Amino acid sequence: MRRLRWLAFLAALAMVAAACGGSAQPTTTTGATGGTEGPTTTTTTRAPSPDFEGAVLDAGGCDYGGKVQKITAVDEFTVVFDLCSPDPAFLAKIAFGVFGIQPAEHLEATGGAPITNPIGTGPYKLVEWVQGDSVVYERFDDYYGEKPAHKTAVLRWATEGAQRLLELQTGNVDGITFPSTDDYPVIEGDPNLALVNKPEPNILYVGMTNTFKPFDDVRVRKAIALAIDRQRIVDTFYPPGSEVASHFTPCSVKFGCEGDPWYDFDPAEAKRLLAEAGFPDGFATKIGYRDVFRGYLPEPGAVAQDIAAQLEENLGLDITIEVVESGEFIQTTTQGNYEGLYLLGWTGDYPHITNFLDFHFNADNPQFGKNDPSYYEPLAEASKQVDPDPALYAEANNAIKEFVPMVPVVHSVTAFAYRADVNGAYAPPWGQVQFHLMDNGKDTFVFMQGNEPISLYCADESDGESLRACAQVVEALYDYDPAGEVVPQLATECVANADLTQWTCSLRQGVKFHDGSDLDANDVVASFTAGLDASSPLHVGNSGAFDYYSYLWDSLIGDEG
Amino acid sequence: MSTENTPRRPSLAAKAALVEQLETQAGDVGRLYERPTSQWRLAARRFRERRSGMIGLGIVATLLLVALFAPVIAPYEPTEILIGKEDVTRRSPPCVHVLGCSEDQPQHILGVDGNVRDVFSRIVYGSRVSLRLGFFTVTLALVVGTTLGAIAGYRGGWLDNGIMRIMDVVLGFPALLLAIAIVAVLGPGLTNALIAIAIVTLPQYARVVRSQVLALKESDYVAASKALGSSGARVLFRRIIPNALTPLVVLATLGIATAILEAAGLSFLGLGAQPPTPEWGAMLAEERNQVFTSPHLVFFPGLAIMITVLGFNLMGDGLRDALDPTLNA
Repeated sequence: MRRLRWLAFLAALAMVAAACGGSAQPTTTTGATGGTEGPTTTTTTRAPSPDFEGAVLDAGGCDYGGKVQKITAVDEFTVVFDLCSPDPAFLAKIAFGVFGIQPAEHLEATGGAPITNPIGTGPYKLVEWVQGDSVVYERFDDYYGEKPAHKTAVLRWATEGAQRLLELQTGNVDGITFPSTDDYPVIEGDPNLALVNKPEPNILYVGMTNTFKPFDDVRVRKAIALAIDRQRIVDTFYPPGSEVASHFTPCSVKFGCEGDPWYDFDPAEAKRLLAEAGFPDGFATKIGYRDVFRGYLPEPGAVAQDIAAQLEENLGLDITIEVVESGEFIQTTTQGNYEGLYLLGWTGDYPHITNFLDFHFNADNPQFGKNDPSYYEPLAEASKQVDPDPALYAEANNAIKEFVPMVPVVHSVTAFAYRADVNGAYAPPWGQVQFHLMDNGKDTFVFMQGNEPISLYCADESDGESLRACAQVVEALYDYDPAGEVVPQLATECVANADLTQWTCSLRQGVKFHDGSDLDANDVVASFTAGLDASSPLHVGNSGAFDYYSYLWDSLIGDEG
Repeated sequence: MSTENTPRRPSLAAKAALVEQLETQAGDVGRLYERPTSQWRLAARRFRERRSGMIGLGIVATLLLVALFAPVIAPYEPTEILIGKEDVTRRSPPCVHVLGCSEDQPQHILGVDGNVRDVFSRIVYGSRVSLRLGFFTVTLALVVGTTLGAIAGYRGGWLDNGIMRIMDVVLGFPALLLAIAIVAVLGPGLTNALIAIAIVTLPQYARVVRSQVLALKESDYVAASKALGSSGARVLFRRIIPNALTPLVVLATLGIATAILEAAGLSFLGLGAQPPTPEWGAMLAEERNQVFTSPHLVFFPGLAIMITVLGFNLMGDGLRDALDPTLNA
């Protein structure tokens, strides 16, 4: 049964919880524990109210195919997540900004679509989103953590890297995202500027779909893998520190580099394989990309042209280069409908190998065509283990190498740039940069990114620009610290049972939302309900897709579509 | 029915002689078409007297020669990537040996682009793309626009209204915006950009031709031609349109410049020429983010566009001065 129940329930349970000192944790509490090194805070502790009516999001079982079975507000400050299967990446996932917590009343008041007026618990409250220009924030004086040094923060945007750099050089902004790699020497040579490396785990790959000819022949796919001189691409188009991808997952992610490294460049063998497959003189195809800057692909056009030229030279392919509109490109490629080669990449959402391998190579992902059990079965097995067996990931990586669903090209180094006088300037590997952790010595801190946010309700957004705008206002149960470690935020800790199927999260007490209301467990349930339960009246959002809820928790509850 | 009162039909030779005579007596407009050779010779003489026109002609002629002999002039293929072939770094600035660049370095007089290709070779080959696009676009717009405008002006009535209102609608949109919309429907690419630009410019030709036809169809020699039994099509295409060509020549020359500029704009937006085609607008777009670090990569394609457009504009102005006798009154 798929339903959401807002229950007036658990009075008895609440009383038990109160008797236990406000920490109604399950008795089985030894599997894993979230860290407790959150931000420096000032909190007040109070006993849970006996009148508290806890909300429940109940999927009615696990037949719907998703990961979440039930989320229960046990008392004011305790939320229990019951999962359908073990999830060792649970903490890393709930730290993702998409799962930010907003007041239940605000979600109801906005009809589940606080697109322009989010209310959170963050260090800033939203003042104004001047569409087409900027987002303006104001310091939240009741913030429980370290308060911003500046009174106002402004988020601006400019598509062109050159324009962002110009704004930084002139001092109009204090920091920018992703300067052009050709501008790195300029920034490093300017005493007023500082280049800050962003060690984000990412991958650029050449995709192909094996349901289209001639990519249905593994020899053709392998020939393409062998005919691309990836070292040349890294040396020519990427900043120093970038690496040729030995595996799909960067080695900085645990278990990422288990198994054999990828093929070396071997055009003669590539030519032989292609001839063996029946194409001694090559064939005509296309290579598509979207003309959008990404950390893993700073110059899409230049890289696409070089790969096309290499394949023409080494295999005799006749390649047409196609620039596809971004939305259409993502839709077409990820659904496995792009008939040709394409350049796509991935930047990790949360620090766990499942975010790279399981997402791309699970049995149901149509992106590369028909997936092979030789790699998706060991991945599925590993994802259920509390302490995964590295041999399973080695087996999966080796099978991916044999099956060649794509060609991994590069793990790129990226960077942000700041004015040199910004104290604490950083570029986190995971999550979004937090303005309040930096100080420019002025009343206003201005940051510039590549594009305007799509909306400020990030439960229903997936682009970094929106997530960065939201992250200043709305917080999640956990967060990633500047070093990329998962740390508690609105929760003081989340404790798992032995098989990682139940996580009990204790909320930080004394936390206030920007509207003055207090954070409690029902706000957590309501926020997850709005994103996860497709049958809820709160499940509205901006586009209604709630991609990350669907993807990170395997499926939406009550999703008929 | 009696045939005794039916006038005798004049011979074709007599008709031609009569029309010729009427045309030579038909006032200003008729004088434009006195004798084709003398008119063009006169225009050529006037054109030679216009220095700016001659400069424009020189630029256009040079461009035509560059396009024609591109394989001889360009030291590299326009899409040839030099990685591993030469010791040259990406986006390196111009290296001209006679200007002091070390003999050890390979010479690239306009530098090397982001894909390590010779910029000079790409600009030389780019002239082929731009000129071809300009000429084909204008030819298409000229043929379709002239036909529509001539039919509208000659037939009048509902056909005139229908055609010209459609032309008004097309003219109501900003040209580049409409071209973008058309390419969005047809899909990006050089051919589709050509079609889009032709569509947005053809109303100009239709309007000019229609106004010329409206004036000329009341001329005595046209009336005489009709009286002598010439068909409507013959009158239109043999008597009227040849006399309406003068403004079209000027418009077409200026139109080539506009077409090249708009095509560069479409390519800059990613809707025209697709990589690795050496089209100047696309070259600008590819390197737009390097405007501060490698300005030569946007400067030279921009300069090529500017010189080409300037050349056609100067030549068009000179032609207008030479072909419009009222300016010489």
